[in-house]
Amino acid sequence: MSQNAIEAEGLGKCYRVYGGPMQRIAEGLSFGTYTGHRQFWALRNVNFGLKPGGSLGLCGPNGAGKSTLLKMLAGTTTPTEGRFRVGGRVSSLLELGAGFHPDFTGRDNILMNGIMMGYSKREMVARTEEIIDFAELGEYIDEPVRVYSSGMGLRLGFSVAMAVEPDVMIIDEVFAVGDMYFQKKCVDKVYELKKNNKTVLFCSHSLYDVRQLCDEALWIQDGAPAQIGDSVDVTNSYSSFQRTHIAEVKHEHEEEQAADDKAAAKIGSASSQILPRVLDARIYIPGTDEELYQVGTGESMEVRIWWVNPTPDLTPIQLGVGFFRPDTTTVAGVGSHIDGHPVTGESGCTSITIENVAFLSDQFLIAVILFGGEGTHQYQQYLMRENLVVTHKTKDVGMFMLQRTWKDRSELPVPDDAPAIREGTVGSQADVPVSNSDDEGGVE
Amino acid sequence: MSSDSPDPSRSGLHSESATLGDASPILDSGSHQVEGWVTASPPKFLEVLQHVFSFPKLLVRHRDLITTSVRRELAARFSGTLLGWAWPLVTPILMFAIYFFIFTQLLSVKFGDLPEDQKSAMGVFMFVGILIWTAFGESVVRCTGVIVDNGNLIKKVAFPTEVLPLNQVLVALVSMVFGVVAYIAVTWITPLFGLHIWEPPQWTALLWALVLMPLQVMFTYGFGLMLGTLQVYLRDTLQVVTVGITVWMFATPIFWTPELIIREDGTRGLPDQWAWVLDANPMYHLVYSWRDVLMSREPAMVFHQPIETSIITFAYWAVGSFVVGYTFFLLARRRFADEV
Repeated sequence: MSQNAIEAEGLGKCYRVYGGPMQRIAEGLSFGTYTGHRQFWALRNVNFGLKPGGSLGLCGPNGAGKSTLLKMLAGTTTPTEGRFRVGGRVSSLLELGAGFHPDFTGRDNILMNGIMMGYSKREMVARTEEIIDFAELGEYIDEPVRVYSSGMGLRLGFSVAMAVEPDVMIIDEVFAVGDMYFQKKCVDKVYELKKNNKTVLFCSHSLYDVRQLCDEALWIQDGAPAQIGDSVDVTNSYSSFQRTHIAEVKHEHEEEQAADDKAAAKIGSASSQILPRVLDARIYIPGTDEELYQVGTGESMEVRIWWVNPTPDLTPIQLGVGFFRPDTTTVAGVGSHIDGHPVTGESGCTSITIENVAFLSDQFLIAVILFGGEGTHQYQQYLMRENLVVTHKTKDVGMFMLQRTWKDRSELPVPDDAPAIREGTVGSQADVPVSNSDDEGGVE
Repeated sequence: MSSDSPDPSRSGLHSESATLGDASPILDSGSHQVEGWVTASPPKFLEVLQHVFSFPKLLVRHRDLITTSVRRELAARFSGTLLGWAWPLVTPILMFAIYFFIFTQLLSVKFGDLPEDQKSAMGVFMFVGILIWTAFGESVVRCTGVIVDNGNLIKKVAFPTEVLPLNQVLVALVSMVFGVVAYIAVTWITPLFGLHIWEPPQWTALLWALVLMPLQVMFTYGFGLMLGTLQVYLRDTLQVVTVGITVWMFATPIFWTPELIIREDGTRGLPDQWAWVLDANPMYHLVYSWRDVLMSREPAMVFHQPIETSIITFAYWAVGSFVVGYTFFLLARRRFADEV
């Protein structure tokens, strides 16, 4: 069918905010002649169409209206304006474990949850074992849900919602559950849905997930769609918007700190004049004076650092530049002492050109570090005012772009000390066909 | 084992889901649909009426949901407790014991000119009344709160909300049936031990129970839907209902009968100017019909009209209550998720 699986036209949702019960009564009794409530538009003007088998990711800050949109499409709340159409059977995962009864066993809850989602008892009984396998709860499945850890409850919820195979799957921000292993299982399951031509609508704060799981993305900002299109493009725009936003907030914060610093400087003015320090640091398009805080993977950039060192003989210095992810992981670090570039004189500007930036899409905090002579003592850590946003247009996964070359080299024999294939091991279905093909290969 | 789907993990779901109708989950949760489009306009009155009268279809489609959740609710209430399934009987028996003691022992209320061997009439009369009233009163109070209490569920899972109050009504009905069965069993067994409590009900009379029960569910459900919906928008409802149900209980001849009242001219019965109060009380008709079914007609003064008249009157009330309550619910349901 060429018809879209999901179609929305001018969709909007307005919540009514009442001042009190009296206002509500007055409004009810006036039969529409009096409106006392305040209107709060959570979402307006959403238009999109999604083909069967397509996948749309929603991104945007908290309170932008993402969940409201999903709730409307899932049918738990009604639109205030516009209209939408969902073709086929909808399953929604708005909250993991909604409807679980703590006093009943996992098994009972699987049944009840499925039936509540509109499946027959027979269907659910047939699926129960599969669900239990997927949730990997072991013996806990026959314990009351009340004794489950939060992770276990979430796993069970996800397993139930995924085991029933809908035509349209609506998932709200539930991937951040369980450990890495289970997360991967969840993502695999969603991939499987996509492969089976199911339509997936998915909301996440993890732009990575949106990019990986969805072909298209919709960025919602302050209750209105800001951009819709290819998921890579949309997530890139959203993350660069976020960067500007964070920078603004940080800037305000820094101004406050600057005032504090001035006060501190007065007290310790004598010593602060003697010590070396970084005056400024910025990023430019190499060889030009045009500042640049957003680069694509594979492009180049130039970091310039202005510094003073009143007493170069007493306090020799080295410069380092560190790239940190927002979660403070050090992604990369370079240093003049490592590369053997001397930093001499009482003041100056040092430039580091980085060719072919290998980072994949992310946001990086950049810190310039002023080391003492041997690169051990740190005089100063200077945090660059603006964060660096790297964007990439490929589907590469991870933190770095690896330079690679693929080749077919089937002429190479299997190494003699390759691990032996264990036959008959539990659960390793993949082993059997592999061993067969090896045998055949041996005969030829 | 399901014989019709050899590999249930693959084919079981889709074969059945297709027959359910594609748009059903959304329609069930309150949105208004025109040719597959869910629109912002409220449902038209005629469509709502249509929905009201296709309620049996909804029951069939969601039979699994209803039976499973009623069973679960019952299990949640009674399994794991010390007395277990005896609990549905404890409340009526305890209430009966208290009221029986107060009225017949302390206040020496006598049943008109009853012969000596029917002394237990007042006790049985009260017990049946309490049994029926408890099912009604408890359902109504629980229904009033049930939509608001399940707010999170309503927000997160698309399912037919009307099932929630229905469960409460059915759970109370099951408890009531427990009591009725226990009562019948006692009237059968006690004569074997030389005790005489009451004549066992006649089997022909018991057939009326099959008419009464659906009507009682309809009446209670419609009433509960209306109050549960009101509670979403006006949280005072539950307080009013709790008090109102108690007032209503005393206004219904549960612990008293009109024959206990002595009129100014010395005759017994409700004064003429108050007669309409009983006639206009649907629960009077219900409780008296049940008494007629369960007690046989011996203390004739208790039943001053044929059971058919009472049942027909109650049937009007039941249909009215259901249509009005369900219509009100359907019109208001659109905003449940926003208000709870």
